[in-house]
Amino acid sequence: MKLSTKSRYGLRALTNLIGQDCSCSVNQISQNEHISADYLEKIFSKLKKAGILKVERGVNGGYSLNRDPQKINLKEIITALEKPEFVCPDFCSCQSKSIWQQVNTSFNHILSSFTLDQLSPPQKKSVYFDYAASTPIDPNVLSAMLPYFSQSFTGNTMSLHNLGTTASQVVESCRQSFASLLKVKPQEIIFTASATESNNTALKGIAFANKNKGKHIIISSIEHDCVLNSAKWLKSQGFEITQIPVDKYGHLNLDMLKKSIRKDTILVSIIHGNNEIGTIQNIDKIGQICHNRKVYFHTDASQSFTKVPIDLSKLNIDLLTASSHKIYGPKGAALLYIKSGTNITPLLHGGGHEFGLRSSTLNLPAVVGFTEAAKIATTNFDKENPYLINLRDYLIKNILKSIPDSFLNGDPKNRLSNNVNISFARVEGESLLLELDYHGISASTGSACSSLSLEPSHVLLAIGLKPEQAHGSLRFSLGRFTTKTEVDYLLKVLPQVINKFRQISPFKS
Amino acid sequence: MYSQKVFEHFRNPHNFGSMDNPTVVGQVGNLACGDVMKLYLKIEKNKQGEYYIQNIKFETLGCAAAIATSSVVTDLAKGKILTDAMEIKNEDVVKALDDLPAVKIHCSLLAVDALTEAIYSFYQKNNQPISAEFEQKHNRIITCQTRLKH
Repeated sequence: MKLSTKSRYGLRALTNLIGQDCSCSVNQISQNEHISADYLEKIFSKLKKAGILKVERGVNGGYSLNRDPQKINLKEIITALEKPEFVCPDFCSCQSKSIWQQVNTSFNHILSSFTLDQLSPPQKKSVYFDYAASTPIDPNVLSAMLPYFSQSFTGNTMSLHNLGTTASQVVESCRQSFASLLKVKPQEIIFTASATESNNTALKGIAFANKNKGKHIIISSIEHDCVLNSAKWLKSQGFEITQIPVDKYGHLNLDMLKKSIRKDTILVSIIHGNNEIGTIQNIDKIGQICHNRKVYFHTDASQSFTKVPIDLSKLNIDLLTASSHKIYGPKGAALLYIKSGTNITPLLHGGGHEFGLRSSTLNLPAVVGFTEAAKIATTNFDKENPYLINLRDYLIKNILKSIPDSFLNGDPKNRLSNNVNISFARVEGESLLLELDYHGISASTGSACSSLSLEPSHVLLAIGLKPEQAHGSLRFSLGRFTTKTEVDYLLKVLPQVINKFRQISPFKS
Repeated sequence: MYSQKVFEHFRNPHNFGSMDNPTVVGQVGNLACGDVMKLYLKIEKNKQGEYYIQNIKFETLGCAAAIATSSVVTDLAKGKILTDAMEIKNEDVVKALDDLPAVKIHCSLLAVDALTEAIYSFYQKNNQPISAEFEQKHNRIITCQTRLKH
């Protein structure tokens, strides 16, 4: 006996409905399985008659399973679509008739013992090692945000009526929370929509407000693109940019910084915890140098905020950027700390929100979420920090041990608690990334092939890597929800992946 | 970003690995750019006395597109007589992969260049007449290589 096309297609189509919360349209399944929609409609109407499927009409309508897939057996599915029988026709009176009847009974018994859920493909593993790119939202952050989508918080913070005042009070309490965390005054914090916006405001805002004092700006050679490209744009506007090099671990050359500060230097902007290699700069010393020379110091703390304690009452920092979606808060919220008395001009002009420094109606739920995320991260620091460092060092140690010709990028000790960046000789990062993705692992790479510009990471080149070493780099960033089991899964898959591409590579060890 | 076809060739590349005693080898690209392709060709004469690619293998260091284009070019070239193999264009490679993202088109060029270079070196080794057009193609690849190195 051979399964008919109708049964085969029916079974394949049904697997699409396993584990679905809502109805699926015939067209959708027809596309997934490459089965004609008309044919599928006929099959589904038979399955509906048999009580296996139910249908909902309307815009969001479609088919769904009528019962738990564990309670639908293969016999009833196939019987609904064809007659799976070994019996001789009624008129037949051959001697084997009774044998066939027995075979048929056994066969039906076997078919009944298999259920639909056994046909479903195993769930694809998904392991996230890209927390430095963006973090999932913490469930507690989400629940803190939800009330602020309600009508009670309709008001614009600038409106004088009751609803406006309510919204305004919420924002001010958020501002107060951040002020306490960073040990600054509330009016020194402005909320923005992204770290990119905060960094743009810091660089362009300081540049244009102080251009009469001077037009010289200093950054490092390992800044995030939003600082680097803001500086490049300022250069096109007549400002002069100096990039201070870093050593092989990514630490800023402080002597060079001292020597580079001139009379007309108005701003030094140095990233705190590097997003690619994780190196943490000595912002205490850099701040002192800038303070002594009376130059504004901005630091991009997008990656380090809540991972490295920052007490602004003790540091000589004039401007600091922090972001929500790197600390399990929602996307679309960030802050810029601006020390009072700092001469800065806004990027966005309008209704005068945020002390006139950033006009725009605030995204209230996002600001609330950002605040809650910062509170949770600060409270959990003593527990989370050693947990991550432990896991990070375990991952680094075992990758370097199990994969020949691999080396760590960045400072082995003074690095972000969640950052692992490793170069593998004779392989290319984009192919590694896609192969890892096939195994359900999300990571990121400094390879040129993964960037639109087709240039390798400027950070990796700045710490002295050859282009081919930068091409073969992978960044794994861990987070609050990373488990040892996930790290062990990565450690199992990664050597196989590297080995696969080293076999394809023309370069052998 | 990539088509299903690219993923198929990338995950299960055809004809990869080195070859013992190849007739010729063609290598293009350089480490600094992140893509290096090496093609090994076994060239023999068929019954009509024409040279043809009896076997072909590749080794590639590069992104998914570089690996997929290498795999496809070996498929397209295998069994072809040299004059036909020289007609393979990067558009054919792109088509066989159901298209490539714009930033990855250069990978298809690299694959075809590697094949051209292998055949060129066979012509040179065997004192075969090299047409002006072929010479020009070879020169373009060489100049491109040197330019990339600097």
